Amino acid sequence: MEFTVAKADLVRELNLSQGVVEKKTTIPILSNVLIEAAGERVTLTATDLELGIRCSCPATVLREGSGTIPAKRLLDYVRLLPEADLTLKFLENHWAAITCGRSRTRMAGMSRESYPGLPDMPDPVAEIPIGLLSSMIARTAFAISVEESRFTLNGALLVLRPQGAIMVATDGHRLAYVEASCQMPEMKPFRVLIPKKAMAEIVKLAQESGPEGKVVLSADENHLFFYVGERLLISRKLTGNFPDYERVLPKDEGYGLTLDREEVRGSIERVSQFSDERSRAIRLQLHDGEVKVFSSSVETGESEESIPGEYEGPDIDIGFNANYLLDFLRVVPQEKVCLELKDGKSAGEFKPSGDDATFRYRYVVMPMRI
Amino acid sequence: MENIFLAKTIFHVDMDAFFVSVEELFDPSLKGKAVVVGGRPNERGVVSAASYEARRFGVHSALPLRTAYKLCPQAVFVDGHPERYRVYSKRVFSVLERFSPLVEMASIDEAYLDMTGTERLLGPPLKAAHRLHEAVKAETCLNCSIGISTARLVAKVASDQAKPNGILWVLPGQEARFLAPLPVRKIPGVGKVTEKDLRGLGIRTVGDLARLDEAVLGERFGKWGLALAGKARGRDAGGWFDSEVGAESDPKSVSHEHTFGEDTADLDVIEPVLARLAAMVGRRLREYGLHARTVQLKLRYSDFSTITRAQTLSDPTQLDTELFEQARRLFYANWKTGARVRLLGVHAGSLESGAQQMSILEEDNSRRWKAALEAADRLRDKYGESAVSLAKALKGAFAERTHENPAGLPGRKRGQRDFPEK
Repeated sequence: MEFTVAKADLVRELNLSQGVVEKKTTIPILSNVLIEAAGERVTLTATDLELGIRCSCPATVLREGSGTIPAKRLLDYVRLLPEADLTLKFLENHWAAITCGRSRTRMAGMSRESYPGLPDMPDPVAEIPIGLLSSMIARTAFAISVEESRFTLNGALLVLRPQGAIMVATDGHRLAYVEASCQMPEMKPFRVLIPKKAMAEIVKLAQESGPEGKVVLSADENHLFFYVGERLLISRKLTGNFPDYERVLPKDEGYGLTLDREEVRGSIERVSQFSDERSRAIRLQLHDGEVKVFSSSVETGESEESIPGEYEGPDIDIGFNANYLLDFLRVVPQEKVCLELKDGKSAGEFKPSGDDATFRYRYVVMPMRI
Repeated sequence: MENIFLAKTIFHVDMDAFFVSVEELFDPSLKGKAVVVGGRPNERGVVSAASYEARRFGVHSALPLRTAYKLCPQAVFVDGHPERYRVYSKRVFSVLERFSPLVEMASIDEAYLDMTGTERLLGPPLKAAHRLHEAVKAETCLNCSIGISTARLVAKVASDQAKPNGILWVLPGQEARFLAPLPVRKIPGVGKVTEKDLRGLGIRTVGDLARLDEAVLGERFGKWGLALAGKARGRDAGGWFDSEVGAESDPKSVSHEHTFGEDTADLDVIEPVLARLAAMVGRRLREYGLHARTVQLKLRYSDFSTITRAQTLSDPTQLDTELFEQARRLFYANWKTGARVRLLGVHAGSLESGAQQMSILEEDNSRRWKAALEAADRLRDKYGESAVSLAKALKGAFAERTHENPAGLPGRKRGQRDFPEK
């Protein structure tokens, strides 16, 4: 196999495979990228058996064929080459020869025989703007559980319906919900759990594909397929029952309070420096016409701030994990946010203040017992 | 003590043959007899306590019951009654707390009191001790012995020397001289092994030990050796003895174990015992207001091979049901199916206090359980530990065995109920 490709094209596509390549070296060949040259394109495939990605770019194919070489080393090297065309050729011992300008390199590779095959993409079930999906991920992914034992919580739920899409993520302490309006009249309702790692890759694909890009979704029994432009991301499905999120979302409005996002974020960031390192507990105290946030820890000290905000409900004293609140405040784009509380023992709900034509965003956080 | 004006006055109050004395209150016919508390002579298990008469025959706590029977076949063997001991322990405590605000129940039958600065109220130490002694006797009908010193360690040794039913005051400045002639075993923390090691060095008495260069002890026994050197000179040194009387310190872990009367592989026997152990652990976690992040199972087979397996929880708990669920899961994941089990233990670790994150998915459920278990705890406080139980644990009810604080252990803080199964 032998082909010539623009360095910039190869680097861009290799970058996309880096997040997928197996990091642990349990199965050596999974550290490699599969390179296939055919027609007028070269295709790069990477997988860790949970996730797979297939990208391609135009190339001048001198001789068709395929082989595998270590993905990270290839990228690290090619990145350093001058902006020019480079030629890659597989030799008989599975090594690859790379030439570019005055550089000549031979890299150890492995036979493609033992490289796992990726499943074929079945018929599409939906097509949505990739930017929309990516924005939904940004608003929810932080709430995904980091506990590997909580298997069904290691991803987000995606529900597609004719009138729009819903994404929900929870770690058992808080829940992020986003509903995006986008008309898909032909759509049959579709409901899947997307693993966290796949979500991170979708965001990367969105960044590469520009504002007009679309993602075509499909699924077989075990896999999810996201086809974006010339790139295909394949993820193993998360199985199990996602919690009944509708039960968690508060039905009735609590006592509301509108806050300036940057002000409240700054206050919480400063005050939480003095919260218990493990629990990260801070307290919010809502009095008539006044909101106070404070925290104290035996080891480090205490800190208090009052936040400007109109509040007219009853006195509420409530504890929260500061990180949970900051997670939301760091991704919500609106300048004003609304906090609704019922009492010190019930979930608090955060949402952007004002109208948003595209997204309906709700973030529900359980308090801490203080 | 370098400066006697800064010296503290510490009382160590130790109940005389506590369990036996309590049993005598319920059955006066036991008085004056050799009595062994802990179970029947043919039962598996160990002696919880022995009366002074039985001790003359070499019977002591932690001795296997069968051995005790061989040594003293004429003894009256009675079952232990943890409930009774707790009740009397609380009564003793309520007397002690009138004498000092700083009372630390080191175990069920002994306490330290920091009496520093009570002279104007209660008189000089010896007088205060007499009043205390009489008050305990009057209100509980039980005898105790009191050791008085500037240091806790010396006070503890002094109360032991004062037994039975005596008071001994080691005058400030005389601590080392008081300890010197005593065998090294009298120092709390020195057991058989250390005693033997020291004997190898030609050290038999505390005085021998005190004459030894600290560095030599440090070299031979490490940090513990340095603490030992300090102890030999009558100072509170090393681990627990460094802390102040009454200084609150949360426990690092909570655990309960049970040895089956007969080894078993019967799940109808094993599961209820696990449930019961989990409930006992949960009760203590709630008592301390702590949540456990890890649950550990201890499993000993009939051949005495023992494994411990732990699980870290995503949300720390103090609920019996969740502790049981984890212990049960660990049991089934690790049990050699069909193998006979001798001992089971449930251990809760990585204890957390303070703010606890509530669950968004399980909150209703855990809130209900929490309320129910707290109500159950109040019933137990009033009517005894067996008043309420998880249905699963009903069949797992076993006679709780207790032991008096074995000599040498520094003891535990007040309020901590620890009656490990032997």
